[in-house]
Amino acid sequence: MGFLVTTLIFVVIGIIACLCTRICCNRGPSTNLFHLTLVITATICCWMMWAIVYLAQMKPLIVPILNEGE
Amino acid sequence: MVNEGRFLPTMDLLRSEPMQLVQLIIPIESAHRSISYLGDLGLIQFKDLNADKSPFQRTYASQIKRCGEMARRLRLFKEQMTKAGVSPSTWSTRDNHFDLEHLEVKLEELEAELLEINANNEKLQHTYNELLEYKLVLEKVGEFFSSAKNKAVAQQKELEFQTTVEGSIDSPLLLEQEETTTKQIKLRFISGLVHREKSIPFERIIFRATRGNVFLKQAVIQHPVLDPLSGEKVHKNVFVVFYSGERVKSKILKICDAFGANRYPFSDDLSKQFQTIREVSGRLSELKTTIDAGLIHRSTLLQTIGYHYEQWSLQLKKEKSIYHTLNMLSINVTKKCLLAEGWCPVFATSQIHKVLERATMDCSSQVGAIFQVLETKESPPTYFSTNKFTSSFQEIVDAYGIAKYQEANPGVYTIVTFPFLFAVMFGDWGHGICLLLAALYLIIREKKFASQKLGDIMEMAFGGRYIIMLMALFSIYTGLIYNEFFSVPFELFGPSAYGCRDSSCRDASTTGFIKVRSTYPFGVDPKWHGTRSELPFLNSLKMKMSILLGVSQMNLGIIMSYFNAKYFENNINIWYQFVPQIIFLNSLFGYLSLLIIIKWSTGSQADLYHVMIYMFLSPTDDLGENQLFVGQKLLQLVLLLLALVAVPWMLVPKPFLLKKQHQERHQGQSYDLLYGTDDPLESESQSIPHDEFDFSEVFVHQLIHTIEFVLGAVSNTASYLRLWALSLAHSELSSVFYDKVLLLAWGYNSTIVLIVGIFVFICATVGVLLLMESLSAFLHALRLHWVEYQNKFYEGDGYKFFPFSFTLLTDEDEL
Repeated sequence: MGFLVTTLIFVVIGIIACLCTRICCNRGPSTNLFHLTLVITATICCWMMWAIVYLAQMKPLIVPILNEGE
Repeated sequence: MVNEGRFLPTMDLLRSEPMQLVQLIIPIESAHRSISYLGDLGLIQFKDLNADKSPFQRTYASQIKRCGEMARRLRLFKEQMTKAGVSPSTWSTRDNHFDLEHLEVKLEELEAELLEINANNEKLQHTYNELLEYKLVLEKVGEFFSSAKNKAVAQQKELEFQTTVEGSIDSPLLLEQEETTTKQIKLRFISGLVHREKSIPFERIIFRATRGNVFLKQAVIQHPVLDPLSGEKVHKNVFVVFYSGERVKSKILKICDAFGANRYPFSDDLSKQFQTIREVSGRLSELKTTIDAGLIHRSTLLQTIGYHYEQWSLQLKKEKSIYHTLNMLSINVTKKCLLAEGWCPVFATSQIHKVLERATMDCSSQVGAIFQVLETKESPPTYFSTNKFTSSFQEIVDAYGIAKYQEANPGVYTIVTFPFLFAVMFGDWGHGICLLLAALYLIIREKKFASQKLGDIMEMAFGGRYIIMLMALFSIYTGLIYNEFFSVPFELFGPSAYGCRDSSCRDASTTGFIKVRSTYPFGVDPKWHGTRSELPFLNSLKMKMSILLGVSQMNLGIIMSYFNAKYFENNINIWYQFVPQIIFLNSLFGYLSLLIIIKWSTGSQADLYHVMIYMFLSPTDDLGENQLFVGQKLLQLVLLLLALVAVPWMLVPKPFLLKKQHQERHQGQSYDLLYGTDDPLESESQSIPHDEFDFSEVFVHQLIHTIEFVLGAVSNTASYLRLWALSLAHSELSSVFYDKVLLLAWGYNSTIVLIVGIFVFICATVGVLLLMESLSAFLHALRLHWVEYQNKFYEGDGYKFFPFSFTLLTDEDEL
């Protein structure tokens, strides 16, 4: 459930970033499409990075074990 | 032609600019100005229409020779200014534009004047140095004679005293004295200066040559003397040689010449000595004044040259490049106009029109230049319109290969994926912040750095400042994911998910913590840091992460090949390259990625290595404990069959289809869209060069390509594991510096040790982690993009658009 919520947050942030880019750097359809591609690619990369780490920790096979003496 | 089938929206940087081959017919009278204006515009790449001619056969060879002569003069001026300590001024904003003849005359005059001043100064300096030496000789030898005279007087008094005492017996002694006096009158002397290091051999040789029948006296001059011949400061001795007889004199003169000893006349008359000294001093002061005036004059002249030097240099470079460009043009038989061909972007058509019209008006030319677009089968050069942000990323792609004309540009996605993959390896948000500060410093001081000369390394860093900024931003992000701030974890997004089993926490170091809360919401749980199981967990996590990111990027590359095939309307490449490649890669490594995700989601203990290995070795056996989901065996069988089918699919059909296509085209049975706009006869003639179709060659090429892809899928996937390796190295090094340097120093409870520890920690962090590690991560990200990503779709066999532009000219230092 936390996974879906945060994924939704990433999607929302991505959409907001696209809109901000469109508003702030409006320079013709060709350049706008370029900027949109960059924003989407960056959002996907960041989401993928987060999702990988999150999934790995959802049901771990090992747990943290302190060093002796601590 | 090709663009007619395009229905995708255009996007900046994905395709190179549309280019066209243009032809210019320029009247002779406005040719120079037209080329000059086109150089300012910088959007035409001229073809060399006179490639078969030698440089001396070209139309404007004499003009280029004149430019070379002027360049030689400017280099002479530069050298003279450097010697005189005059630096050329950089404010040449005033646009006094001399024409070539005027500039040539002016440079010639200035050179003559400068050479004359130099010659005069040299002559005066020579004379001055000689007189200076003469003065020294006068002073020193005068001292010799004064001293000798005093001794003689004392001796004479003593002799008179003895005469009085001895009475009549002294009569014979008086006679002897008279004889001695007679002999003394005949002695002569030579005076001058000799180099100090040569003085001892000089003295020795004179004694030997004259068999000891001379008297030589030397005196050291305390200060170095300017040598008249060499003009350098030399340590010298003043010498005077007393001799008798002409034969001895000639020997001494020869020896003086051999040793480079300068001789100066000297009078033994005291009053004449004073007079000569006075004369020489007077002349010295006069010459000094004259020399100073000459130097001031020379300095003034050089400063005047310095004011204009940069402007003249730039203008001369322009003129030279203009004439080189004019030499590429073909001259009409009537000698009235020049024919030019070149490539230019389509969007530049109107600009070029305006420039040519302006040149025509400025020259008051009767006939305007003609500009027309030619049809050609030649492959145009590749030109990407970049800005200061995107140019450095495009440089990364271009270093691998220049894109073929209108080929999909990997630079688009590289802008994001390159710094992202760097950050995956470099992730630490403390180090990311340091990198960001460095990048922001370069960006904020952009204007200042852009206008000055930087060192090699600094130049590269400045050129890549936007790459560094993005790398830093992504590093901060991945640093938050890895939860490392100079290797120290924080609970930034909530409490750790792990806790003790009971209140006593005795099991923490034996069986470990248990997960008591929901998953840590963002990044790695901070409890892992410093535990015994940290490394196994992180290794497993990062290896799987590398596979997932790698397969994603490789799939992106193959999808790009689809867009290329779509764009060029190459259906063969779509159905017999793209489709089997996608099937093959995802049947095996896409499936592996799916297994990774399923294992994480379900917490299964299946061994993925065994699953993948036995998928090939014994695909029909039961999976047993390694089963992750229902129907896995059947799915694996299907995927295996798909992979096996995909290999001959991408190998066999394409050569046969190409052969069939060639046969149809050769027989004229098919209407080829590529030649749709051409004359049918021309189409027939154009197909002659493509007459030969070597099936075996095409088949072998396809075989190599298929093998490369299949094996490459395996090795490239393994290659992405470097993301894990680099990330692990960075993390471990950072931990070592923190634990073994900083915490160790802190433990001593000593201020001095703590300061030393902090200093060592800072040096290690900057030197090793920020510089060496970032360079290492950069190089590995570069390799992943060049080989693993671009290899999937990028041919990169185009050539770069290199326009005739004065802006590119100013970057070159050499004149």
